[in-house]
Amino acid sequence: MATCPAGHDSGSSDFCDVCGMRIGAPAGVPLAVPPAAAPPDTAAEPCPRCGTARSGQFCEACGFDFDAGQAPGPERPDVGSGRHLRPATWTASDSGRHPGPATWAASDSGRARGPATWTAVVSADRAYYDMVIAAGGPDAGVVQFPGYCPERRFPLTGPQVRIGRHSASRGLQPEIDLSGPPTDPGVSRLHAVLIAEPDGSWAVLDPGSENGTLVNDSEIATGVRVPLRDGDHIHLGAWTVLTIQAVHPG
Amino acid sequence: MSQPGFTVDIYQNEYLTEGAREVNAVVTVTSPDTADFAPRGSQGSAEIIIVDCSGSMASPQTKIAQARAATAVAVDAIRDGVAFAVIAGTQTARHVFPEDGGLAIADPRTRGRAKRMVGRLRPGGGTAIGEWLRLAHQTFIRHPADLRHVILLTDGKNGEASRRLDDAIRLCEGVFSCDCRGVGTDWKVGELREISTALLGTVDIVPDPAGLAADFAAMMEAAMGKQVADVALRVWAPQHATIRFVKLVAPAVEDLTGRRRQAGPQAGDYPTGAWGAAESRDYHVCVEVRPAAVGQEMLAARVSLVVGSPSGPQVIGQGLVRAIWTDDEALSTRISSQVAHYTGQAELVQAVQEGLAARREGDVSTATAKLGRAVALAQQSGNEGTASRLAKIVDVVDAATGTVRLKKKVEDADEMALDTRSTKTVRTKK
Repeated sequence: MATCPAGHDSGSSDFCDVCGMRIGAPAGVPLAVPPAAAPPDTAAEPCPRCGTARSGQFCEACGFDFDAGQAPGPERPDVGSGRHLRPATWTASDSGRHPGPATWAASDSGRARGPATWTAVVSADRAYYDMVIAAGGPDAGVVQFPGYCPERRFPLTGPQVRIGRHSASRGLQPEIDLSGPPTDPGVSRLHAVLIAEPDGSWAVLDPGSENGTLVNDSEIATGVRVPLRDGDHIHLGAWTVLTIQAVHPG
Repeated sequence: MSQPGFTVDIYQNEYLTEGAREVNAVVTVTSPDTADFAPRGSQGSAEIIIVDCSGSMASPQTKIAQARAATAVAVDAIRDGVAFAVIAGTQTARHVFPEDGGLAIADPRTRGRAKRMVGRLRPGGGTAIGEWLRLAHQTFIRHPADLRHVILLTDGKNGEASRRLDDAIRLCEGVFSCDCRGVGTDWKVGELREISTALLGTVDIVPDPAGLAADFAAMMEAAMGKQVADVALRVWAPQHATIRFVKLVAPAVEDLTGRRRQAGPQAGDYPTGAWGAAESRDYHVCVEVRPAAVGQEMLAARVSLVVGSPSGPQVIGQGLVRAIWTDDEALSTRISSQVAHYTGQAELVQAVQEGLAARREGDVSTATAKLGRAVALAQQSGNEGTASRLAKIVDVVDAATGTVRLKKKVEDADEMALDTRSTKTVRTKK
C-alpha cells in the first residue's frame, strides 16, 4: 500500500487511487510546493460506521459525513416540497464560489454584439445523480435515475421564468415545469427563478428550495441573484441539470 | 490474461497552465488483428432480420421485391451455426422464419427454407416499430447467445405513440445491438437514430431500393466479424473531478456521457458495443479536475477497456490521461492536434444538424450561417463525405470562409443522407 503526497492510501504505486496525484517525484519536474488541499489529519481516519479509510468529507463506501459526524438518516416520507436529498452539510467546501466554465467561455465575453437568445436545456445528469446518491441524504436510497429522459429546451423570455413542478391545488404553473415524466422527486414546487437582467443577461435565484440549487457545481445562497453565462450548469433535485445557452447573433 | 490485449493510445497535451481545470484527451482503442482473438463464448451468435411489410412497401412495387431480395442476400451471409430468425413488421410483428417463433441454427437447409418464406412476404398494414423490437427481444432472450444483433429495415415513420417505441428501446438496451436502414424518403431520421444510438448500431439511408442487397450483405458481413460483445470503456477520475463528457469521435460522433454506469466509487463504464478484429475507434474524454500547484502531476483519468467474463470484469487494455501544471507557456499553450481535430469534427456534426433543423423551420439566416460553417469545417478537416453531401444542399460560393447560399430545390433523399451520415468523421494522420 503506497501513500500519496496528500496522505491517501493507494493501491496503485504510480498515481494515487483517490486524488490522482503522482506518488514519488517524476523525473524532471520539481515537487517543491506541497499540495494546498487535503488537511493532513484526514489521511487514514477510519469511518466510524464501516471502517473504510477516510478520503474526503463523505465516506466512499457508506456515505458517512465525517465533518458532521452523522450517518445518512433513515428514509423519510415526501414532505410535499420535494424529497429530502441533501445531507446537512452539503455546502461544505465550495459554497460561495462561482467558477465559470473553465477555458472556453471567457474568450467571447466583452465583445459588443446584439442581444443574445437565451435558452435553458433540461436534461438528466448521471454523474450528478451519482454524487447526490453518494452523499447519502435521507431519501437518496429511494430515488431512481430515469431510464430515459428526452432533452427539453425552454427559451428564456419575459421578466422571469420559474422552475418547479406544477401544482393544481396551489395554482402554480412554472414556465419550466419539471413534473415529467420522468419526475425528479428532489425538485420543489417552486424551486428556482430565472430573472432577466436590464442588460439582457439572465440570473438565477433560489427562493429557498428544499434541496438547494448548484451553479457550476457550487451551491448558491438562498435569495441571492447569481448571474449566468453561456454554458453554465444549474443542478437541482436528484438528477436534473439545466444548461444555459446564450447565442449571440452574427 | 486469456485474451490478447486491446491497444489503448492517449493523445493529449498534458501540460496545463496554473489554475487550469479542464483536461482533454483523445483515446485510440484498437483491437488485435488476429482473426480469432477472442474465443467466442460457447453460446455463439444470434441474428434477427426485421423486414418492414407495411402497406407502403408496395409502392413502388419494386420496394418489397428489393427488400425480399436483400433479406435473402443477408440470410445467405449468415454463417453456419449462428442462430437466426426473420421477422415481418406491420402494426404487429410476426415470425416469418422459423415459424415456431424461436431461432433456427444456420445451415444450407435452414437458410434455404428461410429464403423461401421471405420470398412469400406481401405488404399490407401499418408500422409499429416498438412491436417489432419487442418480438425480437422476446425471441432473443429465450436463446442464450454471446452476441445478439438485429438488422431493421423500414420505409415509413412509426405509427405508434412515441412512448411505446421509447419503452421498447429501453427494454432492448444491452440485450442486442441494432443496425437500422431507411429505404426511400418517408421515414424519420430522428426515429431510427434514436434506436441505433441506444442499441449501439448504425443508421443509414438507402435512397434506392436497388442498393439494399449490397448494403445488407455488408452489414451482415460486419456482424459476423464481431468477436467480443459488451466491451466497456471504464473511466476512473480523481475524487472531486467531474467527467464533462465521453464521446466516440471516430468512425462517427456518438455522445456516451449519459450512458455511464457507475463501476466502483470513482469510476464509470461507458458502453462501446461489440468489436471485430483489427477495429480502431477514437474517443474524446474531457475531465474537469481540481488544479494542483505548478510542478505537480496528477492522473486525470485512467481509461481501461473492460469485458465481462465468467470470473468477473476483465481489463483488456489501459491508458493514462495525465495533467501537469506548469508556468512554462511554451508547454501549456501547445495544442494536441488530435484533440483539436475531433473538437472540430464534433462542431461540424452540430453545425450540420442545427443547420438542417433551421432549414426545416424556414429560418434561412440561421440555416445559411450553420451550413456555411459546416462547409468550412468539412473543407478544413478533409471530411470529403460530408463536404460532398453539403454541396447538394447549398451552393458553395467560398468553402474556405463558409460562404454559401441555400439551394432552392433539394431532393429529400439528399437532405436525409446529409442528416443520417452527418455524424461520420475522418481521422487525423497520426
